[in-house]
Amino acid sequence: MNTVLEVMDLNVTFPTRAGAIRASQQVSFRMQKGEISVLIGETGSGKSVIGLAVLHLLPEAAIISGKINYNGREILSMSEKEFSRFRGRDISLVPQNPSGSLDPLMRCGKQISESLEIRGISNLKQSTEVENILSNLQFSDPKLTAASFPHELSGGMRQRVTTGIALASEPKLLVSDEPTKGLDYSSRKTSMKMFLHLKHIRKDTHLLITHDLDLARMIGDTIHVLYSGEIIESGPVDEIFSDPHHPYTEGLIAALPRNGMKAMPGMCPGLIDLPSGCYFYSRCPYQCEQGKTIHPAIIPVNGRRSVRCHRFSR
Amino acid sequence: MSSVLQVTNLSKTFGHGDIFRDVSFTLNAGETIGLFGPSGCGKSTLGRCILGLEKLTKGSVLFEGKDIFRLDRKERSCLQAKMQMVFQHPEVSFDPRRRLIYSVTEPLVYHEKGESEYVLHSLLPLIHAVGLHPGILDKYPGQLSGGELQRAMMVRIYSLSPHLLIADEPTSMLDMSVQSQILNLMKEMQKKNSTACIFISHDPEVMQVMCDRIGVMSEGKCEIMNKNNFSEWMQPLLVMDTMEKDH
Repeated sequence: MNTVLEVMDLNVTFPTRAGAIRASQQVSFRMQKGEISVLIGETGSGKSVIGLAVLHLLPEAAIISGKINYNGREILSMSEKEFSRFRGRDISLVPQNPSGSLDPLMRCGKQISESLEIRGISNLKQSTEVENILSNLQFSDPKLTAASFPHELSGGMRQRVTTGIALASEPKLLVSDEPTKGLDYSSRKTSMKMFLHLKHIRKDTHLLITHDLDLARMIGDTIHVLYSGEIIESGPVDEIFSDPHHPYTEGLIAALPRNGMKAMPGMCPGLIDLPSGCYFYSRCPYQCEQGKTIHPAIIPVNGRRSVRCHRFSR
Repeated sequence: MSSVLQVTNLSKTFGHGDIFRDVSFTLNAGETIGLFGPSGCGKSTLGRCILGLEKLTKGSVLFEGKDIFRLDRKERSCLQAKMQMVFQHPEVSFDPRRRLIYSVTEPLVYHEKGESEYVLHSLLPLIHAVGLHPGILDKYPGQLSGGELQRAMMVRIYSLSPHLLIADEPTSMLDMSVQSQILNLMKEMQKKNSTACIFISHDPEVMQVMCDRIGVMSEGKCEIMNKNNFSEWMQPLLVMDTMEKDH
């Protein structure tokens, strides 16, 4: 089997004065070559923490346990020096805030060709390669974009340029953190088109972190829904959207404006004092008896799917 | 029904050119009009002009029959208490150095010269109605989530029972499930108070749920459509419909 990334029982805790913040608990998933896995969840669900862990970028204060295997090598226990050979070459990040991630004093084309230089592509070939990348990113005039400074581009265009920088290093694993956050409707649509196009022509292994359900549905293969630091449901995208098992996933889908915008009651529990039973119990429409006291384990359902809910445990 | 707001031939020009020209519409009590357009098309500027936060270049804004730009300061202040705005970034809309309780009671204390504690007591039903725990008001804005802050903003705004509410992308920074909570809350509050509302957004789906009529802004013009025309107009824009999942 061609497993590129395997995350096993990842626990990340941040000690604070108010108590330990359990940002990620028992997170396990694996990604095959060419697969797009989506981590979906709301603010504070711990999705970015997983992305940071894969990139070896968690702050030193974090207490980490578990394993992350990248192509058979365990990366969590690597030293910073060892891992720096992977970051930006084998594993690339599309950061969350494109405006803050680009160098304001450097033309966009130059910023992309920096990654090409690392790959050892000669100066002569760089500019055609940059234009090639930019046209794949749905830019209508790649030459013009390459010659522009970041402030001359719109938010959506900057987002696509940062994606270009990540792709220029030909990563074996691409991690993107909220690529459509803060974009207006038309830029968001163009970004989605770009990702869809990239999926068809490049077949990257892509870990997508987002709260944008449409984006997940459009380009994802597998989806992992996160709630309060845990994966509560995983499975193929189509199945999760057509037949969600966990009540939280159901609620998320029903909250979309086109599905009637039904609101779930209550709020996510804080990550410091989590309830002892099911984390979703207080908001759950079913409220089963066990959920009050017993924390559900994640259980496989029908082979390809799994869910963390007592209703499926018998 | 009497019109709350009458906007006639509104134009705004900044140094580099027209932002919008000749925008006209009327708004009745309890009605919602949406302003839709991409970033930078002037939706927010139009909202700010109507409130009197920006000077107009041309045209007039009549709020309950009075031109806010022709009133003296005192009258204007009274009138402006009845027009309120919700901003896009709840986290910067509150004074970060003050406890929330101060910011939430401030409008009533200012406009009705009440005592802070007495005001808070009168606000309790409203605080419960938006789904907040009163204890949360002792915290600072930085300690709360975006959804909680936007709820507190609802208390602050509806404490003055406004006749006109301008919501400038109130949920674009919030998560999907929180967005549905806040929008449903806004709708409910609006119905209870029969507030007229101008809803600014760049999400056509949210627009359709929230608005009775929609003004589409592009290239300086604002074309007002009813709901059906808007759904026809935006059909080609919809993300899920235009892109086939499998090529």
